Amino acid sequence: MAAGALARDVEAGGLAAWVRARPLVVGLVVVVALLLTLVLGVGLGSVRVAPAETFAVILSRVFDIDIGVTITPATDVIVWDLRLPRVLTAMLIGCGLAVAGATFQGLLRNPLADPYVLGTASGAAVGAAIAVLLPIQLVVVEFGLLHGLAFAGALASAWLVFRLGGMGGAGGLTRLLLTGYAVGSVLAAVLTMAMYVSGAELRQIFSFLLGGLGGSSWVRLIVAAPLIIGSSLLIMARGRSLDGMLLGDAAAGHLGIDVSRERGILLALASMATAAAVAISGLIGFVGLVVPHVVRLLVGPAAHRVLPISALAGAALLSAADLGARLVGDVPVGVVMALLGSPFFLVLLHRSRSGYEL
Amino acid sequence: MSSSDRRRGVALFVVLVVVLGACSSAGASSSPAASAPMSASPTASAAAVSPSPSPSAAFPITLTDDEGTSVEVAAEPERIVSLTPATTEILFALGAGDRIVATDDGSDYPPEAVALQDVATYASVDVEKVVALEPDLVVAGGLGFTPAESITKLRDLKIPVVVIYAPSVDGVDKDIELLGSATGTTPKATSLTSAMRSDMAAVSAAVAGQSPKPRVFYDVGYDDATGAIYAPAEDSFLAEMVTMAGGDVITTGDPNTYEIPLEKLIEKDPQLIILGTNPFYSPTPDAVAKRRGWDAFTAVRNGDIKPVHDTEITRPGPRLPIGLRTLVSAIWPDVALSAAP
Repeated sequence: MAAGALARDVEAGGLAAWVRARPLVVGLVVVVALLLTLVLGVGLGSVRVAPAETFAVILSRVFDIDIGVTITPATDVIVWDLRLPRVLTAMLIGCGLAVAGATFQGLLRNPLADPYVLGTASGAAVGAAIAVLLPIQLVVVEFGLLHGLAFAGALASAWLVFRLGGMGGAGGLTRLLLTGYAVGSVLAAVLTMAMYVSGAELRQIFSFLLGGLGGSSWVRLIVAAPLIIGSSLLIMARGRSLDGMLLGDAAAGHLGIDVSRERGILLALASMATAAAVAISGLIGFVGLVVPHVVRLLVGPAAHRVLPISALAGAALLSAADLGARLVGDVPVGVVMALLGSPFFLVLLHRSRSGYEL
Repeated sequence: MSSSDRRRGVALFVVLVVVLGACSSAGASSSPAASAPMSASPTASAAAVSPSPSPSAAFPITLTDDEGTSVEVAAEPERIVSLTPATTEILFALGAGDRIVATDDGSDYPPEAVALQDVATYASVDVEKVVALEPDLVVAGGLGFTPAESITKLRDLKIPVVVIYAPSVDGVDKDIELLGSATGTTPKATSLTSAMRSDMAAVSAAVAGQSPKPRVFYDVGYDDATGAIYAPAEDSFLAEMVTMAGGDVITTGDPNTYEIPLEKLIEKDPQLIILGTNPFYSPTPDAVAKRRGWDAFTAVRNGDIKPVHDTEITRPGPRLPIGLRTLVSAIWPDVALSAAP
């Protein structure tokens, strides 16, 4: 890239157009950012671990190569059992939520849609609250009642909204959105009541609501990964349907898209990705709402670009925010993400002179 | 979930922090967790064999902690992480203070504890830091004081975690003995608990005959903005302490409720208000008397509002006898107590 040409473009106010014409550049930048957060995320933390040691741990664990650096058992655990699964989980969740968000926004033709728009968040939270309040300790390979009920709650509420909201023709979208809001309100009331009576257990419910990656582990990562990555890939494979529906149901129908069937499948896939993400990391906001918008601002609305780049950007953003949260002293990751991400988003919005529509 | 719901969540959480913070993990509810069945064997044998604890004799040892979890401690712990102020105090009282390598940021007693590295705050445990210290025993707080997630994580990493949570004054004795077994200081633990027990029994006996017992409201916290009043829960640790000190304790009436409505408090009509003050909550008696609606209390009309330092009263550790004496001098100022042993 010629710096001079770029500078001239910026002066001419044409940066957005320049970028938009080069989605590969955006993709490349995002991939580099992702790799950078991977390296930094594993290398940094509240305890100082020398880069050589980090490297040695990973080499010995992955390839069974000993590079002659002494590793203490503590270092090994910190790098391999704490940091690496946490960074990868952050990436997985960020990817899943960003793809789900982009899907819901496109399907519902609503810029304020996020992965939780179908009452998923309240459903998961009620499930988690019930799990916390039940005096049952049930753990199946690192998955407790909380994970199970959060997952089930998220899926059940999405299913309920989908059934009640119907998938009729005209006006169907508004009905679906409002049904999501109404079901979400009922569940939120149940949740508030559960929190009110929870006494000392309140804290556990609250930390679920804040979301966080402190509970990441290899087992949880490996169980959630197929669900999230699988759903994301299946959604990407249906990018054409998503593009069509952005034009409106009638236009999509003219393009030969079976609108109600495709919408059902896409909603189910996006809900699955959301539910899996929520079950292992609680309610993490922002990434699912804002990342798809940022990506659309950069590369335009075509789904075959928006979905994969959102996936990578969501992964990079959440793992970077989690790193920030860990370094500051384990503050909620959503706080860091919104504080750092929102100004960036505002600048992008402000700069987009061409206007921005979904 | 809408932002207003989340705000409500935040408000509720703040309430919890106030209440639990004020109690310093004194715990207050009937928890589903069974209280600890004590492991009996090492207590008797180690105490009988020799006054100085012989290392390795009692280890490895399998303990049942206050949540009913079996915890194996392979050898006498040399590197202990204590995650609550109360357990830090207990460990120091057991003479195991020099083996503590880190604590939480609330551990402020004894003074040596302040200098130790902090690896946990009220909100979270820095698991990475804990792991880096290579502890051979982590002592955590129950009832959600230490996040369950962190406890699970540490246990997954094969670090023995003993969860301590005393639902009652007796429970504190059990906890001290449990930590005695866990750290190989059982003789010290049994002598400490028997001294505490007899001292507290003596103090309690000194006021047992006093009557009529005043209706005592122990003020745990107050929210100036909403007028919410935080009080001892029914059957809580704090309620037990006030009862032992010869007071007719006013509680919220429910083991899981930490707030008492003003109307109910007016109906109960406290004759004495004990203000549990700590660095986070220290209103003056004048400010308390001016709270909206509080002039309905006999205690306020008679000016019977007594601030006390609440840490020794609410922290389930070795200083409870001091706390009990503080309470007795607030409730029965004319009763002469024997000097503390």
